[in-house]
Amino acid sequence: MIDCDVHNDWSSSNVLLPYIDTTFRDYLLRGELPGARGSFPHAHRPWLHPEDFRRHDIKPTNDDEHYSFMRENLLDRYKPDVAILTGEEALEVSTLANPHYASALASAYNNWVIDTWLPRDDRFWASIIIAPQDPQGAAAEIRRLGSHPRVVQVLASHGSYRPYGDKFYDPIWQACSEVGLPFAVHLGGQGGINYQPIGGGPTTYYWETHALLLQPSMTHVASVISNGIFERYPNMMFVVIECGVTWLPSILWRLDANWKALRKETPWVKRLPSEYARDHIRMSTQPLEEAANKQHLWDVLAAMDGENMLMFASDYPHWDFDAPDDMQLPKEWLPKIMDGNARQVYKKLPRQLVPNDTKAGVMS
Amino acid sequence: MSAMTDKRKHYAICKAADLPPGQRIIADLDGRSVGVFNVNGEYHALHNRCPHAAGTLCMGPVTGTTLPTEHGAREFVYGSEGHILRCAWHGWEFEIETGKCLIDAKVRAKTFKVSVENDQVVVHI
Repeated sequence: MIDCDVHNDWSSSNVLLPYIDTTFRDYLLRGELPGARGSFPHAHRPWLHPEDFRRHDIKPTNDDEHYSFMRENLLDRYKPDVAILTGEEALEVSTLANPHYASALASAYNNWVIDTWLPRDDRFWASIIIAPQDPQGAAAEIRRLGSHPRVVQVLASHGSYRPYGDKFYDPIWQACSEVGLPFAVHLGGQGGINYQPIGGGPTTYYWETHALLLQPSMTHVASVISNGIFERYPNMMFVVIECGVTWLPSILWRLDANWKALRKETPWVKRLPSEYARDHIRMSTQPLEEAANKQHLWDVLAAMDGENMLMFASDYPHWDFDAPDDMQLPKEWLPKIMDGNARQVYKKLPRQLVPNDTKAGVMS
Repeated sequence: MSAMTDKRKHYAICKAADLPPGQRIIADLDGRSVGVFNVNGEYHALHNRCPHAAGTLCMGPVTGTTLPTEHGAREFVYGSEGHILRCAWHGWEFEIETGKCLIDAKVRAKTFKVSVENDQVVVHI
């Protein structure tokens, strides 16, 4: 079983001090922060969870406890073979106006996760975080660490300055394609220079907003397909993490219909948008929509070929955590969603050992 | 039900003085995790397993909450202080005394009888 979204948090952003470039070490050490000393210098989002976004039975007070709580409550309890680390606050580098500082913080996080988290547990595989507002710096970072044997994806927040298919980000796609890593967006970065996280203007309440925060991921899906990313980089996979899933068929139906009439606007797009999505886009499950009638949910998931498009993620240790042993999905889909699909996207992961008497999770 | 016919197992949890008002103890009772709460001097016990998604219900905050308002009034009336347990995982709210979930009374956390015997807090399962 592969868990595609596991947050390796810290107790203080001071853990980055030994890992950050000296120029920006001073910023982090003495510069202004949005919270107390040790908080992370992101341009914070306007919506704050009224009861804290972390689970209340997990209260680590130091970095060793961040791991020991994770081991007890996730790794040893549910026994994933693979936990793909996605960081925590570091994703918010995307909100900073200063691209140099943002990239320095991202590099510091990447050095820290490789140096301190990966050695803790052989189930850990890392995402490297980039500052997408600095495409050249991000590309350099991807080339610096892309060949690390335990680095399996390049990660940025879904909150963004521009849609990710925009020409502005070409250096990032080029670098990902060169090193052969998927580019993933994870819910976050809705603030600072990413000033349009909600269409129509800022919503008011956290729960209301949390249901709508997936909006930019719709934009990214349309953008990467219409801008021909997968024609220029046919080896690329685009992973959408923690952005909900059931909106995808609706958007793809609309994109397909529009492209049929207006193909001439984007002559580089050669196939139906839904075909690019099928071959190049994957989505993590959590938080899986909770339908009153489970069959309604499953019908929508079938319409997007959920068995092949979805990858399990728990989002440990957040308030909307999905437990791996309680997934409301058709049983026959589980071998691929819980394991096989992620092994196809993250090619550095070992092939799954499958008993001879079952085809479950067998790779093509 | 009299003690003579009570076939439930009795588990002594702690001395009554060791569980003052506003406090809780989470105990493993033959493999079943149970939270015992002192709410204003009355003891209540809940299964530490949320009926929503099997989360660690009893490890969440004991708190009050905003009471429902009438006719869509956008106002905040805080109440039930000390009577509400928020599940540690997803934050669903439960009334400690009854185990009723605030968003749907049909969703009930399992409750257990609690008594005080010889100055010991005793849970009946």
